[in-house]
Amino acid sequence: MTQVDRNSAKLPLGGLLKGMKVTIKAMVTRVHTVQYPVVKETPVPRARGVIALDPEACTVCMLCARECPDWCIYIEGHKQEIPPDKEGGRVRTRSTLDRFDIDYALCMYCGICVEVCPFDALFWSPDYEYSEFSISDLLHDKERLTDWLETVPTPPALEGA
Amino acid sequence: MTVMDPLVAMHRAEAAVSVELETPGMTLNIGPQHPSTHGVLRLVAQVDGERVTQVQPVIGYMHRGYEKLAEVRTYAQITTLVNRIDWVSGFANEIPYIRAVEKLAGIEPTPRAQFIRLILTELARISSHLVFMSSYPLELGAPTPLMHALRERERVLDLIESVTGGRFHPNFNRVGGVKPAAGGGSSTKKQTQDLPQGFLQGTRAAMGEVGAVCDDLEELVTGNELIQARTIGVGVIPADVALSYGMSGGNLRASGVDFDLRKHEDILPYADLDFDIPLGRNGDCYDRYVVRLQEIRQAARIVQQAIDGLPSGPLQAKVPRILKVPAGEIYVRAENPKGEMGYYVISQGGKVPYRVKIRSASFSNLSILPWVLEGALVPDLVAIMGSLDFVLGDVDR
Repeated sequence: MTQVDRNSAKLPLGGLLKGMKVTIKAMVTRVHTVQYPVVKETPVPRARGVIALDPEACTVCMLCARECPDWCIYIEGHKQEIPPDKEGGRVRTRSTLDRFDIDYALCMYCGICVEVCPFDALFWSPDYEYSEFSISDLLHDKERLTDWLETVPTPPALEGA
Repeated sequence: MTVMDPLVAMHRAEAAVSVELETPGMTLNIGPQHPSTHGVLRLVAQVDGERVTQVQPVIGYMHRGYEKLAEVRTYAQITTLVNRIDWVSGFANEIPYIRAVEKLAGIEPTPRAQFIRLILTELARISSHLVFMSSYPLELGAPTPLMHALRERERVLDLIESVTGGRFHPNFNRVGGVKPAAGGGSSTKKQTQDLPQGFLQGTRAAMGEVGAVCDDLEELVTGNELIQARTIGVGVIPADVALSYGMSGGNLRASGVDFDLRKHEDILPYADLDFDIPLGRNGDCYDRYVVRLQEIRQAARIVQQAIDGLPSGPLQAKVPRILKVPAGEIYVRAENPKGEMGYYVISQGGKVPYRVKIRSASFSNLSILPWVLEGALVPDLVAIMGSLDFVLGDVDR
């Protein structure tokens, strides 16, 4: 238990002078801010900036769209018939991705979709520069989400590793 | 009898009239968009001259309906919502909720996960109190401490971001532990979300910096005569009144009540750590400020000890892939930076809770405003309101 000390400053204007000391100390230390559009800070590798999609890995299982807390992922796909490799073989069907949209105007950046994806199709990228003048442009389609793939960083080394 | 100067006589006559003049009562509407209200709070004050005779807080402008939204979301999805209740300490909001679900489902989190939760909760407490340290002197008219406090808060937020990926909304807790892996796929499954390299060292260094900024704030604010004149003896809340209004957190401890859920509840392993509960004596604005400043130092102490005692081991306990919580109900509370935060979770068995009732600290702390502002001076109104350190997202949910 500690008690509050009320009689710290006794001199007249003593408290003000002590405060000025801190101000002068801050004047000679390094600047902590950066001039944003000219100088850019590098976000940490785990920063949740934007979601990248690998369309080759996606199997249209809809898990991400179902688990999303505000249902901002729109997926459409169709079954494609693949002819048999050799004569008399079985015709296979494969799910093909037609549409994969994420509405970043709705997204809460929780990362549940990335976590539940069982086929490594979704990744977090720390990129953050995708603001738009129109809210409808925040709906990123399959091609745009695929473009984010190259900004996905390697995960950071772990403590004690 | 000397002849009175006509000018003096005129002044005397005027003074006699003005004594008899009554100041009519006036309704002063403050808000909902007042910068010092920490959000959208409206105060309807009845003012008699410089005295406030009655205050009616009008809340609800920030209502987002999280309790209702939680009824149609799975237990994992609700963590995203509870992050956003008190946005200056997002991580601390997750703890009572996730512990309530864990207790209801009978899942025991791993010791390492519990310690990581504890470290991040205390970092959230430091960042929340640093917001108070920056905004409260600003409300009293001192803009300089804001820069010093927010600089160190940014350092703390960077640490939280390096672990969880989010500065404000970490969404890092899962039932049974903390976020286990980056993804569920075969290659990312092994890639765990354990503490990144350099975090422990960086946190130790940051705790030193936080201690240094506390020293700076002591010199800038605590000893300042103007701050003392504005806060000592202003907005006094006696302990019995504070208790009767259901206050908690730093506001209650400033009134001298030794009540801290970190000591009374066992939802995080605080029992292994040694720390003090700072207490005030008079329950005025100055005590509430000093108690929070001391709490930053204590939180830094807790973090240092927790890093020393951080156990190794898995990050997550065994949890079924589709979590179904057995029917039952539970109330779990924890010490949020603002006070007691509790979740009353009712499950009827299944993936979705039947009801999640949120008990937030700011709502109860704000309810004392009509009592404490009655009879206060209008210039003290903002000083008293700011000292209660509430966040409107926490009030309205």
